[in-house]
Amino acid sequence: MTKRQHEIAITAPSLLWLALFFAIPALVVLAFTFHGHSPDGGVGEWSLSTWREIVDPDYPAIVWKTIRISFEVTVWCILLALPCGYAIAKMRSKWRAVVAGAIMLPFWTNFVVRVFAWKTILHPDGWVQHCYFSLLEARHWLSAHLPGLVARALDGAGIAPAEPPDPAFSTILDSEAAVVLVSVYTLLPFAIMPIYTAAEKFDFSLMEAARDLGAGNLRAFTSVFVPGIRQGIVSAVLMVFIPAVGSYVIPQMLGGTNCVLIGNKIFMRAIQNRNIPHAAALATLMAASVFVPIIAAAWWRRYQAKRGRRIVEVRAARLMAGGTK
Amino acid sequence: MADFLEFQGVTKRFGKTIAVNHASFGVKKGEFFSLLGPSGCGKTTLLRMLAGFERPDEGRICLDGKDITDLPPNKRSVNTVFQNYALFPHLSVFDNIAFGLKVAGRPKDEIESEVEKMLRLVQMEDRADHFPNQISGGQKQRVAIARALVNRPRVLLLDEPLAALDLKLRQRMLLELDLIHDEVGITFLYVTHDQGEAMSLSDRIAVMHAGVCEQIARPAEVYEAPKTSFVASFIGDTNFFDGVVSACPEPNYCRLSIGGFAEVLCYNDKQKAVGDRVNLSVRPEKFRISVDPPAGAAPRLNVLRAKVEDIIYSGNHTNYWVSVGERRVAIYQQHLAYLLDEKPIRWGDEVWLSWHADNGYMLDDSAPVDESLLPPKIPQNAAAAGEAK
Amino acid sequence: MKRSFFSLAVLGVVMAFLYGPVLLIFAYGFVPNGASMSFFGADGRFLGFSGKWYSLIFGGHHSVAPLMQSFWLSLRIAGLATVVSCVIGTTAALALHRFKSRLQSVHYALVYTPLVMPDILIGISLLMLFVACGVDCGFWTILVAHVTFCVSYVTMTLLARLQDFDDRLIESAYDLGAGPWYTFFKVELPLLLPGIVAGGLLAFTLSIDDVVITSFVNGAGTNTFPTFVSSMTKHSRNLPAVFALSTLMLCFTCALVGVSKALSRNPQNSKRKSK
Repeated sequence: MTKRQHEIAITAPSLLWLALFFAIPALVVLAFTFHGHSPDGGVGEWSLSTWREIVDPDYPAIVWKTIRISFEVTVWCILLALPCGYAIAKMRSKWRAVVAGAIMLPFWTNFVVRVFAWKTILHPDGWVQHCYFSLLEARHWLSAHLPGLVARALDGAGIAPAEPPDPAFSTILDSEAAVVLVSVYTLLPFAIMPIYTAAEKFDFSLMEAARDLGAGNLRAFTSVFVPGIRQGIVSAVLMVFIPAVGSYVIPQMLGGTNCVLIGNKIFMRAIQNRNIPHAAALATLMAASVFVPIIAAAWWRRYQAKRGRRIVEVRAARLMAGGTK
Repeated sequence: MADFLEFQGVTKRFGKTIAVNHASFGVKKGEFFSLLGPSGCGKTTLLRMLAGFERPDEGRICLDGKDITDLPPNKRSVNTVFQNYALFPHLSVFDNIAFGLKVAGRPKDEIESEVEKMLRLVQMEDRADHFPNQISGGQKQRVAIARALVNRPRVLLLDEPLAALDLKLRQRMLLELDLIHDEVGITFLYVTHDQGEAMSLSDRIAVMHAGVCEQIARPAEVYEAPKTSFVASFIGDTNFFDGVVSACPEPNYCRLSIGGFAEVLCYNDKQKAVGDRVNLSVRPEKFRISVDPPAGAAPRLNVLRAKVEDIIYSGNHTNYWVSVGERRVAIYQQHLAYLLDEKPIRWGDEVWLSWHADNGYMLDDSAPVDESLLPPKIPQNAAAAGEAK
Repeated sequence: MKRSFFSLAVLGVVMAFLYGPVLLIFAYGFVPNGASMSFFGADGRFLGFSGKWYSLIFGGHHSVAPLMQSFWLSLRIAGLATVVSCVIGTTAALALHRFKSRLQSVHYALVYTPLVMPDILIGISLLMLFVACGVDCGFWTILVAHVTFCVSYVTMTLLARLQDFDDRLIESAYDLGAGPWYTFFKVELPLLLPGIVAGGLLAFTLSIDDVVITSFVNGAGTNTFPTFVSSMTKHSRNLPAVFALSTLMLCFTCALVGVSKALSRNPQNSKRKSK
């Protein structure tokens, strides 16, 4: 068997499988967006009607909402993951493995069951709901007891609303807050892991050097540690943002009618209304909103690599200029 | 008579770079032969072609009269000791050594006795059931050697086998390798970038540079009579003087006029005539410097006045850098009886520099010398270089 | 070291956050009243813990029969998907590691892209393929979908292991006279086995956990454990049985991982002790 035959023989199974069940379906989706919808639940004739319908103000609003919520989830995850990754990387190597394992362990229980558990926790009679409502009440109390001008400013910023909270419309369940909270819960480990892996390779003596040069703890953390593990942070952002954009189970189970995201719309159109072209067009929009950050990250990495090489080149050139004089 | 192992015009290219360029030489049966050169000189490629991991683009490799150029690695009776040992981590020391015999389908009791014998040879009898991650670097090295030797190869290839060991261990393994070679009598082909290893072990050395074998000779010959400026500078340190023959006062000796330096006498084994350009190499330890003029003027002794520019004391010897005219000369002087028969030499002293005409050796080429291989010089423009940054 | 204390505190809070729901799942597997999901009676009296949900599961009671049916289906699909994706993933990883050609860069892109695609897109695109081809959704479409996303994970896990693999070991085996097949089965495969097992474990977990893709390609009436659970309402009386079953699964996976860790940690040492 020649080398080429050998290569083809071991490449074929995965290549064919993924071409058939991944690449071709993606093209099918794209093709369906250029079809009309037939009332019997199938796919109609070739037409641009689907793309015309998709500019309906409903859809762009949903896309925007999905991106905004995904962004919120990503920010929370990174903010929590940074100190966690730092703390784990600072531990002794024996403890590191244990804690890293402990972070992944809850994920051996079924995803849906965990979401169900949250549904129980956020139950309208539960203590989380009581705390949430107390918080809303406290905000209102703040507004009522502050001098008029400040109160109006805070009201406008949405921090201290002048209206008292209405118990009927203030449940944490079926709200955007619940979706963000549980999304952070399910995605947090995927943010901690890449940050921890990067932090493990980070040279902590650089932090000491920064302190030695007069930086405070926070300054050393933000200006030495965070840039030092930026590759890990980029991975973490992708690991959180992409599934968040695609999330469908959490908004469906915890967001009620207040938090319908692209994922839910796709499912509704594909399974419930049998409007396949619309579902395909929404899927294309989702893919686009996922690929933008991926391509940005890839471009950023290449830029970093190029800049790194450029720095090396400049230094080498300087050394040589100094040496041959 | 053809040699036991023969490379005939072997050439290997990787893309545009020529890794090995027409290597042609023979290795005798039972010889300890070294390929010496800096990294990237093609020595490992040559070894890999012999082992069968690379196929030469041109040329043949013959072993004991048979052409083995196109045989796959598993059909050749050569075995390799890899740089990082490449011991199978999932097999015990015993099973690692037995691997080749098992592949060959030898009977079980024979495998056992052969492996036991090898374990004794490399003094690892008590580690037979250990795994590679449980033994030290030196022990891994021995297992790797035993694993290759147990197959009774016609040639044993060693690819920088000591590179991963620390200095003390390296010196001990060097001695053991020598003993093993004497014991088994197999031809060893040893690849290294360490001149010390090559010099102390080998019967003969091939010095390689940029894919070309520059000189193949016994260790002493390579050191004392280097053919090219590369060989002279790669093996040990040296001073180069390029000059023109100005006179031939007696047979086999000529006077050399070296610009910015002096006119010196040197041995003329290459029979150069007046007017020829010559590149002369003089080893730093061949010079003597003293505060007093050298006593009893020996014949053919070059004697010059020099000024001491730098002194580095290194225990058993001292490195001096002196200037003669516009030239700087490196000198390594042994302390035969420190402070007793020598007047101390200090920075800035005017001293006498002397060497015998026989100690300068003419090189074949006048190729520009790689700066990094010359004895270190104190950069006079260090401050200027600093500013340039 | 003030910073360290702060980050440790955050880590502590995060751990509590991560484990709270898991503890709740564990606790509510013992809840006495499935309808109210409460340990307390209407009069505020503590009713104690109840093992009835576990006995329903082990007794094969008809009220939990659909749940158990979906659970066994999940296990079957996950098992099959793991085996298939391990075989395909291993060949893929070997191809990607050994060869550097244009074919492999296409191959790599094809393996990598599913990892950065949201699950739902894989689900919808497979659904559309099946619609376009007129295939009825059911067991086989679920299996195909699961293999499709598991292959990428197995390949990437193994490819990472292969990066640490010393290729000289293979040369070394050839050098000692072994042919390609002998080398594969006696040197490569034993050394890659931990990586294949790790990839397989990942594939199994992903498959048994997947709800998004399955809910697109399962068709009517075929429910895996996750899709069955997600179709249950909050007021299902059998919710504690789901929690009990999840607790059992968690214990089982922990035991499995523990055993495999113990086995893979130091085969050398245990062998030495037995001698």
